[in-house]
Amino acid sequence: MASIKDIQRRIKSVKNTRKVTKAMEMVAAAKMRKAIESVLKTRTYANLSWETILNISKAANGAAAGHKLLVKRDKVERVGIILITSNRGLCGGFNTNIITKAHKSIEMHHKDGKKVEFVTIGKKGIGAKKYYGYDVVAEFPKEDIITEVKEVYDIAKLVIDDYTSGKYDKVMVAYTDFVNAATQEPRVKQLLPVDINAEDEYLGVVGSDTRVGTTKEMIEEKTEKHLSDEKYDLDYTFEPSPMEVLDEMIPRLIEVQLFQALLESNASEHSARMTAMHQATDAASDMISELTLSYNKARQEKITNEIAEITAGANALSM
Amino acid sequence: MKLIKFEIVTPERMVLQEQVQQVVAPTKAGEITVLPGHIPLVSSLQSGVIEVKNEKGEYEVMSVSGGFLEVLKDKVVVLADTAERAEELDEKRIEEARARAEESKKDIRTFDRERFASISAKMAKELARSKAAKRWRKLKNID
Repeated sequence: MASIKDIQRRIKSVKNTRKVTKAMEMVAAAKMRKAIESVLKTRTYANLSWETILNISKAANGAAAGHKLLVKRDKVERVGIILITSNRGLCGGFNTNIITKAHKSIEMHHKDGKKVEFVTIGKKGIGAKKYYGYDVVAEFPKEDIITEVKEVYDIAKLVIDDYTSGKYDKVMVAYTDFVNAATQEPRVKQLLPVDINAEDEYLGVVGSDTRVGTTKEMIEEKTEKHLSDEKYDLDYTFEPSPMEVLDEMIPRLIEVQLFQALLESNASEHSARMTAMHQATDAASDMISELTLSYNKARQEKITNEIAEITAGANALSM
Repeated sequence: MKLIKFEIVTPERMVLQEQVQQVVAPTKAGEITVLPGHIPLVSSLQSGVIEVKNEKGEYEVMSVSGGFLEVLKDKVVVLADTAERAEELDEKRIEEARARAEESKKDIRTFDRERFASISAKMAKELARSKAAKRWRKLKNID
């Protein structure tokens, strides 16, 4: 059994740890509030614009035919994935979850010899290389609090250029959807080409509302609602011209999607960290009470021993 | 009476969502009016004034600066970069903002192209806001 001194030392150290985790929990909670506020503000816009653009992609055999960002390539050989992670650890399974999710989805849909490359946002994205050996071609820094769409311009430009130039045949973004403070959902979404016929798993409207079209049917159902009663030929007219409008619109909406994904991930990260730190604080408290118990036991034992010795000594003398 | 479901959102918020009779919007190709049963249309917007006539036949006026317009059969979605409703606008402050933008435009015209563009955009935005406020006052007969 550990000595009383040892136990005392351990209690002290665990108490210190608890102070740290408690403080981190509170910091994360404050950051989370801010992050949630901004994620909710832009969600409507992001969702509506994503629906719009998916609708347009459906009509892509009409006037929009042949736009370079809408056309599905016959052969997909190289896939680019934008991976959004946190900068720091101590946030539970947050980073592991999203990296595993990205890895699994690659295994599922792109197993047969396709070349996959990662563009990471956030320092922990390097895990994709460390654990699964993927190539990381670009690392973007991530701010703790994100406020302006500007911050994703570079990333959006990079992937759009790489897609247009033929370096990638598909671009996806792996991020963590913020459902609520207790639940976060890692998700992989196809950004380019914009295609309503992509695998259901890859469609997804950003956001927590699971009823918002995450599958093709749901989005189509919604579209049909927009179009009301009779069957309606969804052949958009574009003004001034299809190419002009789409050239401006698609990159803009891709930026918005990326921005929203970043906000969602941020809110998720802070919530995950808060939960993790809360659990750590609880665990520390449990440990302290256990240690205190054994400390008391050890102390009592020592006292009993001493008394026994003293009485034995006294007995010996009085004999 | 046939109505259109009208929605205008910006990255910050949902500005207006209601049933309307008609929508007038400034697209890059000129001002258009959308009535119920319009063919599906996608167009990009320029800075200007959006006017909608609501269910009761009253006009609502909004300023927008850039964005997109999607017309579905009985629905109009405006994805605006920024948008404000005219009654939220304070004309005096707009004039001030515009004057400031103009001033800084003069200052930097010579050297910084990017900033010049951003200030020009700002001016267009303020101009749209001021137009919207004026139009609103005219419609409501406020002097």
